[in-house]
Amino acid sequence: MNRFQDLLESPQNYLVEQAVEGGRIPIGYCCSFVPEAFLMADKLFPLRLHAPGVAGTEIADIYLSNFMCTYTRSLLEFAMDDRFDLIQGWVFVPSCAHMQRLYDNFEYLKKPAFSHVLDVPRKVTEATIAWQAEELKMLADKLSAHFGVDMSDNSLSKAIAEWNRFAEVIRAIGDLRKNPVPIITGTEFHRLIMASLVSPKDLILPKILDFQKEIAQRDNVGKFRARLMVTGSHLHNPEFIRVIESQGGLVVADLFCTGSIPGFPPIEMTANGDPIRTLAEHTFKKTLCPRMMEDFDRRLKTIIDTVRQYRVDGVVIEIIKFCDLWGVDSMPLVSALRKEGIPVLKLEREYALGGEGQLRTRVQAFIESMGK
Amino acid sequence: MKDAFATAKQIVMRLPELMANFLKNSIIGFFFEAKSFSDAFIYTKYWAFIWGNIFKFIIRLLFKRGPIVLVRELFFRYPWILKFLSATKLLRRLTRGRKGAYLESTALVIHAIAVLLVEKLEEVFYQPKRLLISEDLVPPEIAMAMGLNVWLVEGMGILLPFLDSEACLEFIDEAENAGMNPDSCSFVKSAVGMVIKNQQPKGVAIVSSNMPCDAGMTSYSYIQQQLDAPPIYRVDVPYHFYNERAEKLFVEDLKGMIAFLEKHTPGRMDWAKLKEICEKRNYMMELELELWDMMRTSPAPLASESIWLSHLLLFYWFPGNPVSIRHYERLVELAKKNLDAKIGAVENEKYRAVLWNPPFPQFPDIFNIVERAHGITLILDSMTFNRHDPIDTSTPETMLSGLAKIIMQGPMVRHTRGPAENYLDDIFRCYKQFDLDMVWIANHVGCKSGQAMNGILREKCREMKIPLLILDYDLLDPRIVSHEGMLSQVDAFMENVMKERSKGK
Repeated sequence: MNRFQDLLESPQNYLVEQAVEGGRIPIGYCCSFVPEAFLMADKLFPLRLHAPGVAGTEIADIYLSNFMCTYTRSLLEFAMDDRFDLIQGWVFVPSCAHMQRLYDNFEYLKKPAFSHVLDVPRKVTEATIAWQAEELKMLADKLSAHFGVDMSDNSLSKAIAEWNRFAEVIRAIGDLRKNPVPIITGTEFHRLIMASLVSPKDLILPKILDFQKEIAQRDNVGKFRARLMVTGSHLHNPEFIRVIESQGGLVVADLFCTGSIPGFPPIEMTANGDPIRTLAEHTFKKTLCPRMMEDFDRRLKTIIDTVRQYRVDGVVIEIIKFCDLWGVDSMPLVSALRKEGIPVLKLEREYALGGEGQLRTRVQAFIESMGK
Repeated sequence: MKDAFATAKQIVMRLPELMANFLKNSIIGFFFEAKSFSDAFIYTKYWAFIWGNIFKFIIRLLFKRGPIVLVRELFFRYPWILKFLSATKLLRRLTRGRKGAYLESTALVIHAIAVLLVEKLEEVFYQPKRLLISEDLVPPEIAMAMGLNVWLVEGMGILLPFLDSEACLEFIDEAENAGMNPDSCSFVKSAVGMVIKNQQPKGVAIVSSNMPCDAGMTSYSYIQQQLDAPPIYRVDVPYHFYNERAEKLFVEDLKGMIAFLEKHTPGRMDWAKLKEICEKRNYMMELELELWDMMRTSPAPLASESIWLSHLLLFYWFPGNPVSIRHYERLVELAKKNLDAKIGAVENEKYRAVLWNPPFPQFPDIFNIVERAHGITLILDSMTFNRHDPIDTSTPETMLSGLAKIIMQGPMVRHTRGPAENYLDDIFRCYKQFDLDMVWIANHVGCKSGQAMNGILREKCREMKIPLLILDYDLLDPRIVSHEGMLSQVDAFMENVMKERSKGK
């Protein structure tokens, strides 16, 4: 697994460096409402922003305050430390107040040559899908004008096909977790997903295929006491999953921005063959964030269905401190899941892994409370 | 016997303190402090009006519903209503040290609250089938034109702490105990807590929005669940809203809301009525603009609650209401009176201030105190500072478009959406337009969007040499920062930045 862990040590790994040396253009983004396939057109490649090993956010705290989530603070801190120096363009989404103000402060402090806010609506109707498509079209024009890249329908269709090939592999590996005796741990899977989000897809795909072959030889991943699902805010650190698994809770499913549910369904081209419209529709389908005002029931149903499909014993809801979306949404979510007879553990955490001992104790107690 | 004696002794020992409190909070105390007979008359008049309204409400409820229902509703279902029995205490607190037209303008606001709240409560009690539960930033004009009565879920979260700064604590705690994140906005927590405690009325439907913050928006899944799942419609304001494309999208959204309300409630859209409401709202706005013009002069003829509380209550909840209109007409008259006589609302006005972000419901006296202690005059606040055009009432489409703009470009919406300039430039515009001396930021601990702007704002204010006070507090929870803590922040600012020594409160 080191091949993936190595890629997570730095916000810009050696595959990113390799791609940039080859003349390609990394575009940084930090929200799942930015369609990855869109940023894979021509020479572009998407780079999910993360802040591995962030030790403190002293500078970011001055601007964003201590009351913002540590993910946004960590990103601003890294940006101020020039840890994203290879990134040539930035695409933000006003997904929440934190992301919105991250953009504002980033603009003020760093003044990047290319940045854009993709105005993603908070509900899905025919009108908002059309709006989203227009938003993507505007972004395409801007990227094309600034970087001279080909954002034509043809180029986007190619990018979609490439993304679909990649997603198919991820889905195949993810499906292995449904097995009664899984051959991949949650930690391994999360490393794989994170690595693939922070690397050019074409460069990481061979490594993923190798890994797929490797795990196919396995019988199991050892003994576990319970099968868990993790859902909640941005989770970029596979160590968090490792700590959970160290207590005997095998993480078999994950519903968060950097997880696999429902993040990797194939992009199906719309009837008129318009790749932009296709991506607009796909974005709403593949994302289940509480920022979407009318998605609570869909989110709940997806979790319940996942619990059944993956034979999950209990659900862990992890929330980054100060995240209002998950903080408030988890209230009805916890009660609805418990009503369904699903054990739930709600954990508040920071972006960087801390309080490992507490986390272990909470998970251990949770597993015991399920009688496992 | 020994205990009874001890208790009696304790009461006797506390008599001076009780008497001092009584004088501090009662009409008799005011008579001792009143600066003229006319001030005493004004105070007494509004004191009587407010009590009159409270009694009218209770007597009507008693006769219409009977004593059992009255007791059940006031003591068990909506016990917070009893807080309004201390409305005249609020009158006393806010009018302390004020005189003449300024005194009357303050009394007028509290009287308007009493009258309109009674109107609202009677809608809850007598017309439950027309009650629409609404989020505070969804335009009430549309529902009003449809013959529906709007109940703002968050409304009491603002009003109750005026009367008792700890009024919302039980609701905040309830929401936190139910699992809501403690760091979210207390305004939202309070609304949710009231719903959990079953102290909010249940309407036939809910309308909410993506405004003003994530916590508010997200809370409606839970609120809906707790209110027995009535149908809900959510309007969605785009991030980039200063363009025709956004306006068009939002107008369509409002049309969707009308169709939803027609389907799920007895309300039917009456465009003629909407026109009438919009025209009356426009008139209110004209009056407010007239008031603003007068407020630009120094010393300002009126200040503080007469400006910000009037707007907060009347434009957000009662636009076009005859009481609201009369209120603004009277405010203009009072301002003119002071202006003509060259009398400043605040005796010895020294500093003109704007308050940015939501004001201080749990400590409204702060402005009264700083007026007297430092001569700081609150000229305007961000919630009042609107910059939209009047609604064009020529067609249904133009009316919806006007309402859409009012919402999208309204305070708290435009300040929490779009780039930072939407928030910052307004402050500087206001500072210049009203010839101000300082900017106060109400740094509500639960408002993440505002918190994250302070760094930039601080640097910009330094560049522009604008004195800036970032006053830490919680909107509804005085446990986060006490009143003394808030006042000492003001004192420290006055001493360190404005180079003035406090003369005591």
